[in-house]
Amino acid sequence: METFINPKSLFHLLLLPCLLLYSSIAYNSSPVEAAMHTNNWAVLVCTSRFWFNYRHMANTLSLYRTVKRLGIPDERIILMLADDMACNTRNKYPAQVFNNENHRLNLYGDNVEVDYRGYEVTVENFLRVLTGRHETAVPRSKRLLSDEGSHILLYMTGHGGDEFLKFQDSEELQSHDLADAVKQMKEKHRFKELLIMVDTCQAATLFNQLQSPGVLAIGSSMKGENSYSHHLDSDVGVSVVDRFTYYTLAFFERLNIYDNASLSSLFSSYNPSLLMSTAYYRKDLYKRRLEEVPVTNFFGSVMETIHTDAAYKALSRRNSGRFEDEMSLDQSVHHIKRRMLIKVNDGDEIHDINPEGEEGASKCPWSTFRNKFQKAENVDSLLNYGLVAMIPLLVISTWLVQ
Amino acid sequence: MAEISEAQDSDSSKLLDSDSKAPQRPDSEPEFDPKLIRKSKPGLKRLFLTFSVLFSFLLGFPFLWKSVEIYRSPLPFREIDSLSTQLRSDTLLFPLHFHALFVGFDSDPDRLRRSILSEITKLTSQNPKCSDNYTLSVTVDLGSRCLRGPTSSPHSSSYQCGSVTAAAFVQNDDVAVDERLASVFGGKTKEYSVAVVKGGSERAVVGKYRHAWMVVGDGSDVGMAAVKVAEVLVKVFINGGREEGLIRNEFMPVGADGKIVLSFNLLNADPHDWVYDWDFEKIDDTLLTPMIEALGPVANISVESQVLYHTPKASFSYWNQKLESYVFSTKDLPFFVNSNEWHLDTSIAAGGRSKILQFAVYVPSAKECPLLLQLPNGEISKTNGFISPMWGGVIVWNPQGCLKDSEFKPSAKNIIPIQDLENMFEVFIGQFRQLFGFKSLNVYTNASGDWNLLPSERGFTEWELDVLSWQHTCFNLHSCATTLGSLSRLVQSLPRMIIKDEIGKQVKLSLEAAKLALSNASSGVYESSAASSSQARSLAEDAFFDPSIMSVSYYSFEHCFAVYSPFFLPVSMHVVLAALRELKRYKQEKAKYLAWKAKANTAT
Repeated sequence: METFINPKSLFHLLLLPCLLLYSSIAYNSSPVEAAMHTNNWAVLVCTSRFWFNYRHMANTLSLYRTVKRLGIPDERIILMLADDMACNTRNKYPAQVFNNENHRLNLYGDNVEVDYRGYEVTVENFLRVLTGRHETAVPRSKRLLSDEGSHILLYMTGHGGDEFLKFQDSEELQSHDLADAVKQMKEKHRFKELLIMVDTCQAATLFNQLQSPGVLAIGSSMKGENSYSHHLDSDVGVSVVDRFTYYTLAFFERLNIYDNASLSSLFSSYNPSLLMSTAYYRKDLYKRRLEEVPVTNFFGSVMETIHTDAAYKALSRRNSGRFEDEMSLDQSVHHIKRRMLIKVNDGDEIHDINPEGEEGASKCPWSTFRNKFQKAENVDSLLNYGLVAMIPLLVISTWLVQ
Repeated sequence: MAEISEAQDSDSSKLLDSDSKAPQRPDSEPEFDPKLIRKSKPGLKRLFLTFSVLFSFLLGFPFLWKSVEIYRSPLPFREIDSLSTQLRSDTLLFPLHFHALFVGFDSDPDRLRRSILSEITKLTSQNPKCSDNYTLSVTVDLGSRCLRGPTSSPHSSSYQCGSVTAAAFVQNDDVAVDERLASVFGGKTKEYSVAVVKGGSERAVVGKYRHAWMVVGDGSDVGMAAVKVAEVLVKVFINGGREEGLIRNEFMPVGADGKIVLSFNLLNADPHDWVYDWDFEKIDDTLLTPMIEALGPVANISVESQVLYHTPKASFSYWNQKLESYVFSTKDLPFFVNSNEWHLDTSIAAGGRSKILQFAVYVPSAKECPLLLQLPNGEISKTNGFISPMWGGVIVWNPQGCLKDSEFKPSAKNIIPIQDLENMFEVFIGQFRQLFGFKSLNVYTNASGDWNLLPSERGFTEWELDVLSWQHTCFNLHSCATTLGSLSRLVQSLPRMIIKDEIGKQVKLSLEAAKLALSNASSGVYESSAASSSQARSLAEDAFFDPSIMSVSYYSFEHCFAVYSPFFLPVSMHVVLAALRELKRYKQEKAKYLAWKAKANTAT
């Protein structure tokens, strides 16, 4: 808007249609333009524990290996496993986890970084990872640090049922909790596109309640169907892989990072007679056509790159290097002092905590008694004191009665 | 119990009655049927007892309700809504003052002003989110006197007549000219000035501060000059050298808490061949610190560095005989970063919501040395580097050993020579600028001619910092409003979720910071508005991502019901039933007594 010599009248004249135009633009177009796809994340969750659920851990580790091979680094993978298979006392091959009876591939070999293991795999932690609501002390490697340009692959495997997924045999994740978490992720622009793969019984019911745009979901079986394991390894003694994951891996073993097979070829590679269940996928919330989306959009990592044309030649204008060295020496001394100051302050902070604790020690006998009581080092001695205190009470009461 | 005592009462009364009446008049018993008549007034004790229990329950109910109440800190929902509507409807206006100076031309300043303004309106794109409110004043310097237009503008520039002459532009030293113009134009207000000078070799330069100048030939048309002035004002000073006005989100790498961590990594691909180290601290002090201070209002930046070994790359290169080196092309760039072997994200300085930008120097192994980047048009890249938005940048540096391998003797540890390090860091600064959406090239090309952009020692010129301040203020305020809106919607949709005091405080502080940023922006103080807006955004994000707002852990109504009903439901049932029963009994006894009284009255 420009201001002429008569600003007010023209301003008011132009204001109304402009406001209408702006409000219509604001309401019609999304406030944020569609962001560029910048990175890929993977959240792989195995929700079972105990030896007989070996195949669930093998499923998750196989997918972890695939995703790493196709380029997603550890810093962008969140792996949640109960991790009690490899070193289980019932494991005949210690520290080795296989997904095939030919034992060709040791999934637990090297470079496996588990972010949440054992009892940390809970519904609460899972939802915290998705929504990003962690305590301040949680390290970066355990957080999903995605932004509005990220594509996220969410893979869950374990035992499930109609609209729920069982976590570690003690809790369940309901489909409306998952839908709520995805809705909050979308509101905070934590993903550009999300692919959910679920390999459990009645898997397709888990994403019934999803409503956020940009989400594509595939489950290994529909409501009322079970998902089955692929084969039993008679050497290890348990089933080592599930059917849905087995055929997914078979598809990916043929690919490398340069390939551009599409998602529709992945989804159509599932044969219901081989899976013994119907792999159902939901694409009503996903705008793009599946034939145009390469699988490396979710399973691999292809960076957007821009070439740097020129250096920023600010230094060539400087007169002499030596003069700058002197100046920089002063600056570096100042810098070192600044850095040392920061360290010293930390030490002061630590020292401050201790005196406060010892301050109230010597105020009065009641407080010392309370302190001793609170410390309660020896519970037995406390009990003895109590019993001893009851004896005079007993004496007095018997004397009163008589 | 009541029944038994009642039975006893009735029995005793029956006995009494029968005793008293039996010897006298046995046939008058039906008159004194204890089920219909009683002689004594019914007592109120039982009624009082049961009703007192009932009333104590009823009295205690509000206390119970209060004790089960969920503590929710009151959030200012209306203010949050008003902030988002304010941002959506009144577009954020940044006031800009432009000043065009024509030296050696003889034209009417008002006519020039109108033509420049029309060009500007043609070039500014409609930006629904944040736009600019600009004023333009034109001065024509005729040597002896000055013609100004508009004559009565409140923002008339403080330009002294005659301070700029064509003679000052004769020498081709742009930096000196820039400094001279800075002393002329540098007034109290932040004004963007363009000087058009006639006579001399043709040049168009944008300086480091807030002015640009153009030297045109003697026979050039003032209308063309006006077009070019409008172009530089819009394309360079408002848009920052980009085509579109608004920076896209992938070029705003500031973390949600307003911090960026720059992580510099020196990667030795194969330490068996050679191991390189660098003197990072010196280069940090000379090159990076001024830039970091300049960007203070936009983001809080910290720097760290590390040296890594055994870091091969993931893509392939082929030997090019003509160039006598190994060549990789731009098609390989997306696969260059080998994330399995390059363990870059080991920072402990970055908190959970900071943004880390990785800058990596890749030293290739002897098998692939020298390694050059070939562009699609066949040329070899001058910088050997590339960026990935929101991730960082990579430079490939070829050590001297592979260029003249006969003279080089690899020692245990080699230091990168200081000249190479300076060159490398110049490329890094260029990449950093690219990550913020600016070009690393020092030339702005346009259809009607090129403008030379003078570089600044701080990495960003004053006008570029202004552009960053506006764009980031705009983005931060919108992000803050959206986050607060999502938070209020979330809180209102779960009425039984505990909202801690901290969250309420953070929301209030965020709203205050947003108001401050808006007022500062409209009065033209760009740096503090950028700083307040970033504070507003980080507070809003802290409130939204508070770990206590987890929908799994709030107490639903079913939970409350299931906890309290097993005790209260049966107890309350019994209490109410007992009270009702006592009431009914009292009414019955009262009716019996009244009947007796009536009979007695009719008898007497």
